[in-house]
Amino acid sequence: MKAIIPVLAIAVAVAIRVVRYRRRHAAAGAERQRRRRSGPGWLGDAGLVAGREVRERLRGKAFRIGTAIILVVVSAAIVIPVVSKGGPGHEPVGVVGTVPASTRQLLQILAKHSGLDVRIVPVQDDVAADEALRSGKIALCITGGQIRLLKAPAASDTSNSAVFVRALAQELGIERAYTDARLTPGQVEQLARAAPVPVVGLQATNKYGIVQGTSVIGVILVFIMLTQYLTWTLTGVMEEKASRVVEVLLATVRPIELLAGKVLGIGLVAMGQAVLVLGFAVALAEGVGSNLLHGTAPLELAAAGLWLLLGYAFWCWVYATAGSMVERQDQVQSLALPLSLPMLVGYITSLTVAGSGNPNLFADVLAYLPPTAPFAMPVLVGLSAVTWWEFVASALISVATTVAVARLASRLYRRAVLRTGKRVSVRELLAGLARS
Amino acid sequence: MTGAIEIIGLRKAYGKTTALDGLDLSVATGEVHGFLGPNGAGKTTTMRAVFGLTELDAGAVSWDGAPVGPSQRRRFGYMPEERGLYPGMHVGEQVEYLGRLHGLSPAGAAAATRSWLERLGIAQRAGDKVEALSHGNQQRVQLAAALVHDPELVVLDEPLAGLDPAGIDAIGQVLVDQARSGCCVLFSSHQLDLVEELCEMVTIIDHGRLVVSGTVDELATSGARRLVVRVEGNRDGAWARALPGVTVSEASGGELRLVLDPGTDSDLVLQAAMAQGKVTEFSLERRRLSEVFREAVR
Repeated sequence: MKAIIPVLAIAVAVAIRVVRYRRRHAAAGAERQRRRRSGPGWLGDAGLVAGREVRERLRGKAFRIGTAIILVVVSAAIVIPVVSKGGPGHEPVGVVGTVPASTRQLLQILAKHSGLDVRIVPVQDDVAADEALRSGKIALCITGGQIRLLKAPAASDTSNSAVFVRALAQELGIERAYTDARLTPGQVEQLARAAPVPVVGLQATNKYGIVQGTSVIGVILVFIMLTQYLTWTLTGVMEEKASRVVEVLLATVRPIELLAGKVLGIGLVAMGQAVLVLGFAVALAEGVGSNLLHGTAPLELAAAGLWLLLGYAFWCWVYATAGSMVERQDQVQSLALPLSLPMLVGYITSLTVAGSGNPNLFADVLAYLPPTAPFAMPVLVGLSAVTWWEFVASALISVATTVAVARLASRLYRRAVLRTGKRVSVRELLAGLARS
Repeated sequence: MTGAIEIIGLRKAYGKTTALDGLDLSVATGEVHGFLGPNGAGKTTTMRAVFGLTELDAGAVSWDGAPVGPSQRRRFGYMPEERGLYPGMHVGEQVEYLGRLHGLSPAGAAAATRSWLERLGIAQRAGDKVEALSHGNQQRVQLAAALVHDPELVVLDEPLAGLDPAGIDAIGQVLVDQARSGCCVLFSSHQLDLVEELCEMVTIIDHGRLVVSGTVDELATSGARRLVVRVEGNRDGAWARALPGVTVSEASGGELRLVLDPGTDSDLVLQAAMAQGKVTEFSLERRRLSEVFREAVR
C-alpha cells in the first residue's frame, strides 16, 4: 500500500504543474488556437514524432534482440539460485541403525534453517551407505557417530548444504557428549528442546525481512535498462542530425516539439519493455518458487520501476542534448565519460550497499540527488532504510529538477542540432545561451 | 511586381565572417526563381532563414505581407542542400510522415504520397528503405517530401545537383509545373544553363548582397553588346584583342565571343574581321546567363 502514496503524490504534483502551465499558456494567441484545431491530435507534432519513434523502434532488430538478451539475463538471475540451492536437500539423508526421535527432530530443524528439505531413509549398513552415496541415492549418511558423504565440504564453503553439514556435525557431537555424560534420554530431549533466550532490540524491528538479492538484481536492472534507453536517445538524436533530416523536420516543427516527441516516443517503448521485463521477472520468480519476492521485494521492485521512469525522465534531456552536439560515433567518445560518471557512481555505491545490506551516509545523500537517486533510492527501500515521505521528497526533487533540465535542454538542443561539422562544445553552447 | 515571399535586409555574421550583408530578395507567386551566387555567397543561409533555421542578426522574412511564423512554414516546402531523410525508414512512410507534420490528415497524407511517388516514377519503391535507393531516386523522394503537402512556397537548395539528364528533366519539369499551378518556387543551382531554361526570374548574390535581379530576358539583353564572329582559318582571335573597345570573352573552336564597350562601332569590328579572311559568322548575341553571372560576381 505504501508504494501507492509516493506514486499518487507525484501524479498530483505533475497534474498541478500541467494545469498551471495550461492556464499560463491559454491566452497565447490565435496561432496556437489554429494549430490546436487543425493539429494532429492532442499532443500535436510531438505526438506525431513520438508515434514514428515508437513504430520504428518496435520494428527495429536492435530492440527485439536487446529485449531478448535482458529477458535471458533476468531468467538466469532468478532460476540459477533456485536450481543451485537445491543441493542434497531434495535428496534423502541415509541413517544406519536406529536414530532417536531427538536426532530426527534435530535433523529437520537444522535442514529447515539451512533452507533445505531432507527426508530420512534407513540404510542397512556402512557398505550399503557408501554404495548409496556413490550412486547418488543419498546425499549424506549418519552412521555410528559419523557423517559420511562423497566429498566433505571445505571450511570456506558457505553454501546451504555445507552449512547444514557443519551444523549437523556440531549438534551430533553435542548429542554424543550428552550421552557420554550419562544423561537420560528424557534429559537429552529436554536439552534438545532448549529455547533460545529472548533477543531484545532498543529500536523497532524492521517490519519486512531484508532482501539483498532482489536489491542487487533491481539496481543492476535499473542500470542496464536506463543505460540502454539513454543510448537510444543519444543515438536517435545524433542520427537525425547526421542524416540532416532534422533540418527538414525543424523547417516545420518547433524544436521543443521535436525533442519532446523524441524522448516521449523512446520513453514509451522503454517503459513498455521495462514493464515486460519486470512482469516476466515476477511471474518467473513466482513460478520457480524463488525467494526473491519475499519481504520488501515487491515494494523494492515497484520502487525500482518508478525510479527507472523518473531516472529516464531526468536523464533523457541530458542525453538528447549530448546527441544534438555530435554527428559521428567518434565524437561521442569525449562525451561518454562525463555523461556516464554520475550514473556509475550512483550505481556502484548502490550495488555495494545492496550487497552488504548496510546503508551509509553517502548512499543516503545520493538517494536525494536526481542523477543518482534512481539507483540509491530503490535499494534503500529494499533495506527499509527510508520512510515514505523521504521517498516522496526525493521523487519531488527529481521531478522539479527534470522540469528545469528539460527547459535548458530544449534551448541548447535548438542551438546545437543545426550546427554541423565539428563537435559543438558545451562551453560554446552555454556562451551562446548567455548572449541570447 | 508583387512578392509573395519578401526577404528584407537580412544580416548574419558567423564570427568575423559576414554571410549576409543586408540581402533583399522577392519571389512572386507562380514564378520559378533561380537563386545564384558563387560558393559562400550566402544562398544556403538565406534559404535556411526562410524556415527559421538561421538565427538572423537583422532583417525580416514575410509572406503575403505578414512575418513568417510556424503556421506559414507549415505551408512551405523545403529541400535542403545536404538533403535529409531517415535512411532506415521506408520511402512511403517517410513522405507520409512529413506530410502529416505539415498538417495533412492521415488519409490525405497517404493519398498525396501515392500520387507524388507515382508522378516522380518511384511508386514501386514505396516499400523500400531510403538507403536502398540510388542517389537520383533519393533525390526524388526528397522532392516528394518537399511537395507532398502541396506547398504555397517551395525552396530548394541545389535540387539538380548530381542528377543524370533524365533526373534533371523530371525534377525540372515538376518545378515548372508547380509554378504554373500557382506555387512560388525558389531554387539555387550552379547549373546555369538549366537555370536559364527553367526560370523566369533570376537573382544573383555575392558576399551576402544582391548583385543583380531580373527576368532572364532582361538580364540577357542588358549590359554591353556582344558579337559572335567566325573567321575562316583564324582560331586564336588575336586580331580582335588588338581592337580598341573590344574584349574577347571566349574563344573556342574558331568561334569568338566579343564584348563591345559602349560607343564601339560593330562595323569596325566587321571590317577588321574581313581583313583576316572569309567571315562565316557575324551576329549580335544575347548574353548567356553564365556570362551575366561571371560579370556580376567578378
